[in-house]
Amino acid sequence: MGDLSLIIQMFMTGIIMGLIYMLVALGITLIFGVMRIVNIIHAELTMLAAFFMYYMFEVWHIPFIIALILCSAVISLIGIFFQRYLYKPLKYEILNVLIIAAGAGTAVRSASWIIFGPIARNISTVFPGMIRILGTPVSMERVAVALICVALTIALYIFLYKTKTGKSLRAVEQDSEAAAVLGISVDRVYVIVFIVSCSLAAVAGAFTGMLFAVEPEMGNDPFLKCIMILMIGGMGSIPGAILAGLLLGLIDSFTETLFGGEMAFIIGFALLMLILIIRPRGFFGYEA
Amino acid sequence: MKKVIISLIGVFLAFSVFFGASLVAAKEFVVGSNLVLSGPGADGGIAVQRAVERTTEIMNKEGFTVQGEKYTVNPVYYDSKYVPAESVANLEKMLSGGIKFIYSMGSGATVPLVEKTTVAKVFMMASCSGSDHLTSAKYPYSFRVYPCNEAAFAVYPWLVKTYPQIKNVAHVNPSDEAGFTESETRVKCAKNLGLKNVANEFFKRGATDYYPVATRLVGTKPDLIDFGGTAGRDQGLLAKALRELGYKGLITVHYSNPAVFSQIAGADNAEGVLFPNSVAEPQTPGQQEAHDWYVKKYGPPVPGMFYDNVDPLFMLVEAVKKANSFDPVKVSEVFRNLQWNSIFGPMYMGMESLYGLKSSACRPIPTGVFKNGQLKHLATIPWPSDEAVQKLNAK
Repeated sequence: MGDLSLIIQMFMTGIIMGLIYMLVALGITLIFGVMRIVNIIHAELTMLAAFFMYYMFEVWHIPFIIALILCSAVISLIGIFFQRYLYKPLKYEILNVLIIAAGAGTAVRSASWIIFGPIARNISTVFPGMIRILGTPVSMERVAVALICVALTIALYIFLYKTKTGKSLRAVEQDSEAAAVLGISVDRVYVIVFIVSCSLAAVAGAFTGMLFAVEPEMGNDPFLKCIMILMIGGMGSIPGAILAGLLLGLIDSFTETLFGGEMAFIIGFALLMLILIIRPRGFFGYEA
Repeated sequence: MKKVIISLIGVFLAFSVFFGASLVAAKEFVVGSNLVLSGPGADGGIAVQRAVERTTEIMNKEGFTVQGEKYTVNPVYYDSKYVPAESVANLEKMLSGGIKFIYSMGSGATVPLVEKTTVAKVFMMASCSGSDHLTSAKYPYSFRVYPCNEAAFAVYPWLVKTYPQIKNVAHVNPSDEAGFTESETRVKCAKNLGLKNVANEFFKRGATDYYPVATRLVGTKPDLIDFGGTAGRDQGLLAKALRELGYKGLITVHYSNPAVFSQIAGADNAEGVLFPNSVAEPQTPGQQEAHDWYVKKYGPPVPGMFYDNVDPLFMLVEAVKKANSFDPVKVSEVFRNLQWNSIFGPMYMGMESLYGLKSSACRPIPTGVFKNGQLKHLATIPWPSDEAVQKLNAK
């Protein structure tokens, strides 16, 4: 592999992985932005989505798009269940929610090992083949997934900034009490936020299950990256998640390729520490 | 209130003593099974648990007799989560419960136990690599129950003979105890057979993306990429990344379930991949019976770790019967010299030349290849002599 080809390869891998991590991070940051809670069960929702997609698409042969819509609906229902019956009784207290979500996440993962068993699975690609970009080989599925991530980010932006529901979400994000006085149902907004976030988790699960493998621990590694993305980009900030996702993807790709896997984590965390020291709220995070 | 609490503690302690004692009560041979049952690595742990379950099911139909008394096997499961601290805590529970026979898996979770089991004179079957950190003259009651890194001594000479085009070898392993010991043995074998080791890469087990490590490997232009201790879904993802980046050479994948591998890698990417030390399709009546039991109970495909762990508990019970004792020291000596007809063929504890004591399983190595979208049995590689091992192990 020539030097230019290697650089292109590292760049493409970084952008693609950055976009995938960003998609997972967007779901978490959206909930944090509006509700000020860290929904760490998002990783398990992504994993459950991958398993639902696997069964619907691979086992029951439901067409991919229909399976994806059904999967989003199921994951949203599960998310709303958590919001209603776990987080709401805790009055959305950040620390309590964090603890209960960590416990629920572990329970979901353990149950998944029992239900789905020890065999890792894979969702067949719907974008077969390879293409060459500037002479460097890259699989079609990676390119397609990256483009879908971009499309979903644009759609999320349009939803938040150009629709009435999106504006009500942003109103609650800025001041939930004032929004309630203006007649916005905060409870309804919370449900909508969970539906959007869970749908993003469902899409992320479906495509990571296709690019990688479907197994109960599949959410762990991306989740850790997402937390780094959120800290670097700023908790609750969508532009921050996008910028930090791409940055971390590129850093990961370049350091892993040039120095090996363990170095990527060291450099990633070093960057995280540096940013938090210089700018504790991340690139675009809220003031304390 | 104080009285109520004291009474509750009293009741709890009474129950603990009663149930604790029942773990080692007569008529039951308790084997503490320290397996990875949750978290990363649970794929292998659940497979081992199912193998233990089958063995127990078969053995307990009749039971076995020691000193005129009939016994059944009771495998008590502990979840190590592949976390060393959890594993050590499990061992302490087992030791305080009077358990003298342990079945442990995952080198990261088993190596931390061996000093303590040795001091306590507890018999330990280790279903993992770990080289002389687990099996050596220092640890006379610890046994490796299926060939791990040692399999390289059988596989490499066969590879060189069967594929003379191999000149440059790249090694890739997870960055943990298993990966480092696997890499050490394989690098040595390749070198002593006149091959050039062009890469020795490590990656974080359970990582998401394998393009970076695959890019590094492809850049070294190897003829063979040896996956060493790479296990589970990592194998399929790594092969997929390698093929997508244009690597066309040989790949050897160990400890695998080839059907799962090909599903994750994709059938095209699995084409031509070699599977030493993996059951491609049942070759012996024993493998067929184990396969049928698994498929009937859990459905296909059968995990590779299941086959690897079918025999050890049978062997242990045979050693106990022959020793006519539950003394771990006596059982260890019988176990060390046991000749067993395993589902792979003749099996025994050997590798004295490597570890200074007969302590690591030796048996034929089934090898398969993925060809024309089908997994085919390619060869059964015989176990090498101790002299051959010594020669390959030279520095």
